[in-house]
Amino acid sequence: MKISNLADKRLIKTGAITGLLMVVVAAVTLEATALIQYLYSQKQLKQEASLRAESQLEATKNKILDVTGQAESAVRNNIWIAQWCLDVPDSLYRVTQRIVEDNPAVVGSAIAIVPDYYKGVHLLAPYTFRRLGSYEPVTTSLADESYNYPEQEWFKKALENEKGYWSEPYVDEGGGELLMTTFSVPIKDRSGHIAAVLTADLSLDWLTDLVGNVKVYPNAYSMMISRTGQFLVCPVETLIMHKTIQEVTNSMEDTSMMNSLSRSMLKGESGNQTIRYKGATSYVYFSPMERTGWSMSIVIPENEIYGNIRRAGTLVLFLQLLGLLMLVLIIRAVIKNALKFREVDEKKKRMEGELHIASAIQMAMIPKISADTPTHDDTELSASITPAKEVGGDFYDYYFRDQKLFFCIGDVSGKGVPAALVMAVSRSLFRTVSSHESSPCRILSAMNDFMSDTNENNMFVTLFCGVLDIPSGKLRYCNAGHNPPLVLTKDIKPLPVLPNLPLGVMQGMPFQEQETVLHYDDALFLYTDGLTEAENQEHELFGEKRMEAVLHKRRGVQEHLEAMQKAVADFVGVAPKSDDLTMMFIHYMNKDQKSTTERKLVLHNDIQQISRLAEFVENLAEERNLDKTLAMSLNLALEEAVTNVIMYAYPEGEGGDVEIDASIDDRTAEFVISDSGKPFDPTAAPEADISLNVEDRPVGGLGIFLVRKIMDNVEYCREDGKNKLSMTKNLL
Amino acid sequence: MEVNITRQDKVTTVQLIGRLDTPASQEVAKTLEPLQENASGTIILDCNQLEYISSSGLRIFLTLRKASMAKGGNVIVRGMNEEIRTVFMMTGFLNLFQIED
Repeated sequence: MKISNLADKRLIKTGAITGLLMVVVAAVTLEATALIQYLYSQKQLKQEASLRAESQLEATKNKILDVTGQAESAVRNNIWIAQWCLDVPDSLYRVTQRIVEDNPAVVGSAIAIVPDYYKGVHLLAPYTFRRLGSYEPVTTSLADESYNYPEQEWFKKALENEKGYWSEPYVDEGGGELLMTTFSVPIKDRSGHIAAVLTADLSLDWLTDLVGNVKVYPNAYSMMISRTGQFLVCPVETLIMHKTIQEVTNSMEDTSMMNSLSRSMLKGESGNQTIRYKGATSYVYFSPMERTGWSMSIVIPENEIYGNIRRAGTLVLFLQLLGLLMLVLIIRAVIKNALKFREVDEKKKRMEGELHIASAIQMAMIPKISADTPTHDDTELSASITPAKEVGGDFYDYYFRDQKLFFCIGDVSGKGVPAALVMAVSRSLFRTVSSHESSPCRILSAMNDFMSDTNENNMFVTLFCGVLDIPSGKLRYCNAGHNPPLVLTKDIKPLPVLPNLPLGVMQGMPFQEQETVLHYDDALFLYTDGLTEAENQEHELFGEKRMEAVLHKRRGVQEHLEAMQKAVADFVGVAPKSDDLTMMFIHYMNKDQKSTTERKLVLHNDIQQISRLAEFVENLAEERNLDKTLAMSLNLALEEAVTNVIMYAYPEGEGGDVEIDASIDDRTAEFVISDSGKPFDPTAAPEADISLNVEDRPVGGLGIFLVRKIMDNVEYCREDGKNKLSMTKNLL
Repeated sequence: MEVNITRQDKVTTVQLIGRLDTPASQEVAKTLEPLQENASGTIILDCNQLEYISSSGLRIFLTLRKASMAKGGNVIVRGMNEEIRTVFMMTGFLNLFQIED
């Protein structure tokens, strides 16, 4: 038990490990798939982000080029006019005026003459500008000592750059605090000397909108820095025109990444870079603006790109983990359940197994009757026991001792294990007590005393106990409240039983014994009430009539048993077994008691022949195993009847015969005495009066009286010229 | 069948040995006939070794008893076996004789 238990547990453990392993494998596969999908998606998303950023950079660049282009064109297209007008300085005002009027993008334009180009005129710089919110341009002069334009960057750089120069953006303090930039080109006179610088001022107020509105992702932002790193557009407005990218970078804790970024941007390179700032990763896409040399960057926080898929991924991961957790819990629960179930199952199996063993033990107590079991020659036995449950309270037993068959059939009140235990006790008691006691009533008394003494659970036993003397067929029996067995002779009759109480009811109860004689070919059928009270589905009982119907046809004991079992099974059908069912057949077949003994004796009418009659009866008695008293009685009756014939049937001196036909079976001894003498009916003689005293008592007439007294039936008839006297003695 | 008769004073003992059937009774009746003349004393019928008795035997017993009674004597039947006692019982003879074991 324990080994298999361990093996089972190991099996379950293995099963559990396999189950968990499967979960782990499933989890790993699932997660790997998710990861691959995630990485692939990430790559896709990054590509998508790059594409978006780059296209936005390109678009913005084009728009800026468009505007700056307009400003450059406005300047270039008027270079030749300005050359022309150098000769007539006053006309220069016309030029600037025209540039501003014709180009809406240009908010101001100046022609700044190289100092002292005109003799007597140190500084000359006609300037036209448009006031904020006003369309009408105003023309004035920049030739102001305080401003000193020759020192201004736009002027100086223009002299150096023949193709023109875009100034660093600046805040125009005079013109409404606007962010401005100026494109300036040198103008040469006909002799080839640089005479002036022509400028166009460009308002950059649109730049903030243009760049600020570039929204690749909701939380992405764009920046624009100038050639020198000055912030032109930036989400942090305080930085604009106040700080350079270098300054901002230097203030950071980890400057390496930002440094390389700012360097690249200031160099006018395009590309992208990943930066980590305060634990957040961002991707920066940057590209230089042609002409102005600015650099624009789009900053996309990593979360913006992957946020959705991260969220989705996290959700998926969470759901998967949840699912796996549930799976683990389910497997755990299943295993736990399985273990529990197995435990219960094991318990049940063990109990079933034990019951099975109990059943086997119980059945082993019952003597097995089979073809190869040695039985007594003079008896055939068959018996069966069918418990309603694994074990039952019915039992039977039999065994041979001293030419006697000891047998019993019993039914313990109740069913199942308690009944089985009492049954085991009863059966042991029967064996013990009957081993030294041949009287059924004493056997039952002893059993009753013992059982009553120990009967704390008030269980009682109905028991029929019989002791069959094999040679004589004499059956002594005692019935303690059991169903009376049936005697199967030519007909079926219940064995007369006295109403004794069942065993175990009360100590010291008297049990009355009874006696009968079984003859050759008689059978006893013993049964428990499980037979007559077998119920079918309609709750009808099998009953005694059905039982007797089966018994009516005489068969061998085994066939009888099988026929009865089949009849009950057919009757009960699918209805559950209601009670233990036990049956036992005993077939008495003593060869000595076989058939009828028939003998004939013929005597002459000579009184001396009587001794032959004595011998004749003696032989018969010996042959039929008749006891001495009976033999003597028969002898006496016969002698009286025969003497009568010898003395009186034939006339004096005439010879004659007297025939005696004896026919003895187990039940009766029948004698017919016949003679051919004169008709005489001895039965007609008056009955002797045995109450008379000595004086009155006749000395004769006792012969026929004794015949009548001894025999149970005496009949006379005259037949075929013969006197026939039939005498029958019941032997039972 | 063997019959031994011994006499001591007024007591006559008849020892019956064997089967007292009809043929034997005819013999025994003759043997015991003289006892009737002398029946005033006590006659003991010793049946200790009597195996069997038929009605003719009973007739002898009764005849002796009648004679004895007429002469004021007594008949004692002694030592009957079970079978003979049964016959005595059936026939009411137990009341007619003095029975001794």
